[in-house]
Amino acid sequence: MTQETPTAKVEPMIRFSNVNKNYGGFQALVDINAEVARGEVVVVCGPSGSGKSTLIRTVNRLEEIHSGTITFDGRSVHGKMRGSELNHLRSRIGFVFQSFNLFPHLSALENVTISPVKVNGVDREQARDRAMRLLDRVGLSAKANAYPAQLSGGQQQRVAIARALAMEPPAMLFDEPTSALDPEMVGEVLAVMRGLAADGMTMMCVTHEMGFAREVADRVWFMDAGQILETAEPSVFFGDPQHARAQRFLSDLRH
Amino acid sequence: MLLDLVDIIRENWLLLLIGQYPNGPLGGFAATLILSVLSIALAFPLSVLIAFARFSTNPLLLWPATVLVYVARGVPLLMLILWVYFMVPLLIGANVPGFVTMLVTLVIYEGAFLSEVVRGGIVALGRGQVETARALGHGYFGAMIHIILPQALYNVMPSILSQFVSAIKETTLGYVINVPELTFAANQVNNQLLTKPFEVFFLLAIIYFLVCWTLTRAALVLERRIAHKRAGMPGVALSLNPQMPVPEP
Ligand SMILES: Nc1ncnc2c1ncn2[C@@H]1O[C@H](COP(=O)(O)OP(=O)(O)OP(=O)(O)O)[C@@H](O)[C@H]1O
Ligand SMILES: [Mg+2]
Repeated sequence: MTQETPTAKVEPMIRFSNVNKNYGGFQALVDINAEVARGEVVVVCGPSGSGKSTLIRTVNRLEEIHSGTITFDGRSVHGKMRGSELNHLRSRIGFVFQSFNLFPHLSALENVTISPVKVNGVDREQARDRAMRLLDRVGLSAKANAYPAQLSGGQQQRVAIARALAMEPPAMLFDEPTSALDPEMVGEVLAVMRGLAADGMTMMCVTHEMGFAREVADRVWFMDAGQILETAEPSVFFGDPQHARAQRFLSDLRH
Repeated sequence: MLLDLVDIIRENWLLLLIGQYPNGPLGGFAATLILSVLSIALAFPLSVLIAFARFSTNPLLLWPATVLVYVARGVPLLMLILWVYFMVPLLIGANVPGFVTMLVTLVIYEGAFLSEVVRGGIVALGRGQVETARALGHGYFGAMIHIILPQALYNVMPSILSQFVSAIKETTLGYVINVPELTFAANQVNNQLLTKPFEVFFLLAIIYFLVCWTLTRAALVLERRIAHKRAGMPGVALSLNPQMPVPEP
């Protein structure tokens, strides 16, 4: 499905072109034009209701758009396609939810293996080996046989990250992955995300963790009222935000 | 009284167990059991299909399923049995054995009722689980089969079970269309004895009670075993509450 032409190499991983989306009469995304380059870590921030979740959910088509185009790895996401093509596309986009959404009837290990086995037809043993390595990577190999209800929030979110990685996605999307966590568990999840970034994973993260943004992000996108008002390197964004709305947002965060 | 019961059992156990078989059709307790097991075994998968159809946006699936559920909810089972019993032979121009009539009616009726239980279980899971499965690349049916149904069906197990128990009790209605099941056999016994209706029907009640009670216990054991395995998953709390509400359409 993917175009392995030479141009695909310079093609950004994710590209939004003139994207608009409405909920009824309400315009949730306004003329979005932006790119996430390969290997880039983008942090999306902005006040509540500004459209961050909506934006990130359009990338794997959990939300439809009304005009414009979004391409992922050179392929249009919202064009006409068969259901199986959409499933294949989605399987290549790692998505981590705020509320973890582990499958409660499956152990941590089974949560990680079920999709490679059922979606990609990976051999069970092979999926298991890979899952154990991924659980190890997020520091949870000892919890492989635990069920979600037996895990803390931070542990559940790390399993959720391992589950997304098991599909070997070229990019990972995070929608406020630490917002539902008790403060003492935020660090362990951010550490895993830092590790991913260091390994060169392309990432788009909606987060209010400005320390993480400052340290890990290549670019920060600031959203307000469905628009991306500012995209800048973190040092620039945090040191000298251009937009009045961004200045207010940052000073609100500090208090 | 107790002696009477023992006598009745001793003299009629074969009739109560298998009806007039092999001189007539298989009947009595065996027929009740076969009718119950078959109707449950067929109604259950049917109910899942009806539930899916009720989620469908395709009117060719949605409408028949919806009509079926509303008819089953709005019409007494006995009416439905009589209707099928008298109308189907007219429509297809051939006689249908009472047993088959009863089985088909029960499967459709129970299937419609169970489908609402299944649907409620799926709705109660919320959007997050399906969304997550889809985001990982599972197709609609893959998500349903591997992610949604195992949770939803488990959570509504008490309701499914009580529907099974009522299916067993509903087989007694086969009596009115001469299906030679247990109640029919008991009535034959009663007609022979003439003077012992209280004892005969008391015995009948005990047999039904024991079957239903055994099933309830067995399901409880099964439920505990799964609960133990999933130790503390949120569904357990739900499943212990048999009054779990089923959302109306
Ligand atoms: N399903 C929906 N139907 C109608 N309006 C919606 C829906 N989902 C989101 N919205 C609206 O769209 C706007 C953007 O919502 P979105 O969830 O993308 O914001 P957000 O930036 O992620 O906010 P938060 O920081 O609170 O998560 C909000 O005004 C919200 O009320
Ligand atoms: Mg959000």
